[in-house]
Amino acid sequence: MSSSEVRREHVGRSVGRVDGAAKVTGRALYVDDLPARPGELHGAAVRSPVARGLLRSIELDPAFDWSDVTVVRAEDVPDNVVALLVDDQPVLARTRVNHAYEPVVLLACADRGKLERAVAAVRLELEPEPAVLELEAALAAETVISGPDNVQSRYLITKGAADVEAEDRVAASRAAIERALAGCEVVVSGRYSCHHQEHLYLEPNGMVAWWDADGLHATGSIQCPYYVQKGLCRGLRLPAERVHVTQAVTGGGFGGKEEYPTMLALHAALLAQKSGRPVRMVYGRREDIEATTKRHPAVCEVTTGCDRDGTLRVLSLRALYDAGAYVTLTPVVLSRGVLHAGGVYAWRDARIEGLSLATNTPPSGAFRGFGAPQTLWAIERHVDRVARELGRDPAELKRQNLLRVGDSTPTGQVLRGSVGLAECVTAALEASGYRDKRAAPPRVVGRKARGIGCSVVLHGAGFTGSGERRLQGKVAVDLRPGGRLCIRTASTDIGQGTETVFAQIVADAAGVGLADVDFATPCTTHVPDSGPTVASRTVMVVGSIVERAAQKVAARVRAEQAAAGGSFAAAGDRLLAREGAVSALEQYEPPGWVAWDDARYKGDAYPAFAFACDVAEVEVDLDTFEVRVVGFWCAADVGRAVNPVMCKGQLEGGALQAIGWALTEEVVWRDGRILNPRLTNYIVPTALDAPPFETFLVEAPFEHGPGGGAKGIGELPMDGGAPAVAAAIEHATGLVLDGLPLTPERLLAASLARGEVKP
Amino acid sequence: MSVADLARYELAVPRALPEACQLLAARVASGEPTLLCAGGTDLLVELGMAPPLGAGARPPLCVDLSRLPELGGVERVDRDGPRIRIGAGVSYLALGRHALVEGALPLLARMSHDIGGPTIQARGTLGGNLATGSPAADGVAALAAHDATVVLTSVRGERRVPFAGFQTGYKRSVRQADEIITAFELEPLAPGSPWCWRKVGARQAQAISKVAFAAVAELEGGRARRFGAAMASMAPVTATLPATRALVLGTPLAGLDGEALDRAVAADTSPIDDIRSTRAYRAHAARALARGFLRELGAAV
Repeated sequence: MSSSEVRREHVGRSVGRVDGAAKVTGRALYVDDLPARPGELHGAAVRSPVARGLLRSIELDPAFDWSDVTVVRAEDVPDNVVALLVDDQPVLARTRVNHAYEPVVLLACADRGKLERAVAAVRLELEPEPAVLELEAALAAETVISGPDNVQSRYLITKGAADVEAEDRVAASRAAIERALAGCEVVVSGRYSCHHQEHLYLEPNGMVAWWDADGLHATGSIQCPYYVQKGLCRGLRLPAERVHVTQAVTGGGFGGKEEYPTMLALHAALLAQKSGRPVRMVYGRREDIEATTKRHPAVCEVTTGCDRDGTLRVLSLRALYDAGAYVTLTPVVLSRGVLHAGGVYAWRDARIEGLSLATNTPPSGAFRGFGAPQTLWAIERHVDRVARELGRDPAELKRQNLLRVGDSTPTGQVLRGSVGLAECVTAALEASGYRDKRAAPPRVVGRKARGIGCSVVLHGAGFTGSGERRLQGKVAVDLRPGGRLCIRTASTDIGQGTETVFAQIVADAAGVGLADVDFATPCTTHVPDSGPTVASRTVMVVGSIVERAAQKVAARVRAEQAAAGGSFAAAGDRLLAREGAVSALEQYEPPGWVAWDDARYKGDAYPAFAFACDVAEVEVDLDTFEVRVVGFWCAADVGRAVNPVMCKGQLEGGALQAIGWALTEEVVWRDGRILNPRLTNYIVPTALDAPPFETFLVEAPFEHGPGGGAKGIGELPMDGGAPAVAAAIEHATGLVLDGLPLTPERLLAASLARGEVKP
Repeated sequence: MSVADLARYELAVPRALPEACQLLAARVASGEPTLLCAGGTDLLVELGMAPPLGAGARPPLCVDLSRLPELGGVERVDRDGPRIRIGAGVSYLALGRHALVEGALPLLARMSHDIGGPTIQARGTLGGNLATGSPAADGVAALAAHDATVVLTSVRGERRVPFAGFQTGYKRSVRQADEIITAFELEPLAPGSPWCWRKVGARQAQAISKVAFAAVAELEGGRARRFGAAMASMAPVTATLPATRALVLGTPLAGLDGEALDRAVAADTSPIDDIRSTRAYRAHAARALARGFLRELGAAV
């Protein structure tokens, strides 16, 4: 790569968002803004009211006028499968339901009022069966809903003493790690749990589908156009060239529009097929919260061994993830969970086991962090516990054990470079005044106590292991008249700024102005499959081939300029006149040294990790146990910030989402149904709850990243907020909480358990 | 709100109170479904969650009270001593900024900044807050702490009801179907007197109270000569804390016993477990907030 020759005029500068004006003026069309197509119907789903049961019959109220209502049932679905990893999830339930809100019947009608009444006129005769609603119940397997024991997927990572060859690796490695722990001077155990989280993107899921001579069209609020296309091809038995999936302007995703839109697109397409009319389905907030995916709840059991001087040696960790009723992406989420379970520490011996379990809750799914926040919550809380046992300051203990270049992770991945970890810790601790604030007893003014805590985390960028090699993500950059360049990619802008940072990368790579770069609407018919918009891969992975494609196209124009003179635009127009089309299609290839063994879970899990140190300062009301985050410092090694303001925006927005998960967000369940599916009672932080953020960008460039070394940072800020807040609460109050969320009610209960509450 | 929702009600926008009273009286006499809408911050949410109307069903008439001049205004009046009259249709935004309210009813001004968020504050009104009757209503707790007089108007005339006699049960009150809540009359707090507004919600804005505590006091010679207090979300109605008030008014502050105070608060409230919080938490927070204010008044609790 010729990055050293590139002049950087745009990368590294905080240029304004290229999509900003259209969004603030209302010109940008989200799916519900798209003009109605002629004859368009509204669609709705009739859903199961129970968590588990046999579907005996579906009755349409004979008193209701069904003449202008389209009805789709399971038997109308050509291939009743939502295509993901495993073919276990139906598009519509046929004989049984496995979670509340599972779709059973689809209806479409031109009149939305009548559609609502029609939903109420469908009677599902269900015979409820015992449901498994919690991880513990799934593990106990008194009721079995999946396989022999409810276990759905399983991973084992072993390193050092635990890395034994045996027929039964699970048992042998367990025995080996126990021996290693027995040899340690200080052994500490803990159990850490965390809960569902709803994405709460501003724009709910929505899709419009219609059929014409070219086949099926689906346009919606989506992250991954090619995932939707794959699902439509399978469910409707169509060849890819007959399925055209387009992203409408999308108002947030956070993973919630990764796999779920496939289901919604299938529903809209089936109704459109049967009615012969375009069908629009846009969820209200309630349906969106009830029916779509959530972050996986998890429980981690951790035992570690260390030297008396605090040197961490041995890690044994078992993670249980609640998959919900269908597999969806859970094995991949669990994989990322176990791969991040060692945290930022150099363990000599490690055994990390992960199990996902089936329950009768709506399927858990992709959510920013994708499994890593759960294990990082556990390991960070646990190292805080080790510090307490040793009488050490947790930040100092963490700093003592940080991974360095040349150290290896639990999969045996040797870190080759781009490890700005120590700089992150130093920057965040110094800026926050952590040391002074920890040195004295927590400050108490009136009935308010202040405390400060820190976490240190990492996040792998891109697909795991061999994933990127299998994926073969592609992008194209086209030359357009007037010397303009157009990026064609399936990496979508869902609010995070892809269009802007890609334009910056292309402008520098081609030596053109930002205003000369266009971004094609992501549509499977017109853009190549860049892989999904997930996994912190957009900038680092896809951005690197965007850069290369732009360099190639520009090089052709420059050659023409050198040969026959004229401006870049004039030379480009000559080329176009001569050749008709000038374009570069680039395919991603991971660095050659990336080696991964899927069978043994060993090797280079990610080509690069981003790192961060988060420090939270909280104020706890000792009467009401209300917690306010009054300061939040984050120093993140991002490799290279393509657009510093937007990069900080990602880090701060992610931190606030993490603070919400830590303190207030809680999905409240009863019998598998959600009691708080509304903005008024699913409590995300407001602007007034946001602390002042101080964010520092540390740049330890990754040699294969675009723009001079950018790494993926989309998920990193979700990882460290919760443990930093919990550590700060512990500092302020002495209350040790190992389960999320850290609500005032739970703090009160912990305080009562210690027998110390006095109003 | 989408076009599809528009058929759910019909709208009447009277321009003066007599017109509104007549319309309401006629609707009540005919038995047709009628809704009163002040700021609409509760009503529109409820309409949005209501089950769909049956085909051909007559939608209710929504009478918009937001443009009635008689429901506006904040002024000083004399009625058995000085009172502040607050129009039932004054928005929280206007209330929180009003110099008379800030000076003489500081608790009410503070509460107005805490309720909902800016959009709710711009539309929401004290009259609507009392009319919908949620036990979690912040504005109502503030009215109750001041022992506000509720002014009701109908074609039959105007009547005044002391707050303590207004609420009769969960979302029930002495308001007749043809009556409109038009104003509140509150006794000003003596300058410099202690007061407390504490809203305990799950976040800093847009939160329905888990517990809210409103209290005012005027002190003289080591005793409270005036003590008004109320709590939201602690009972099926706004809790007016009679036992707590009696204890505080009847005891020199220096002699007030913390455990007796806790017992009085417990006797005055009946918290429950619900979606927002737990019975145990509410009971604890209520005790702690009451003790906190009494400490401010000089009690050693």
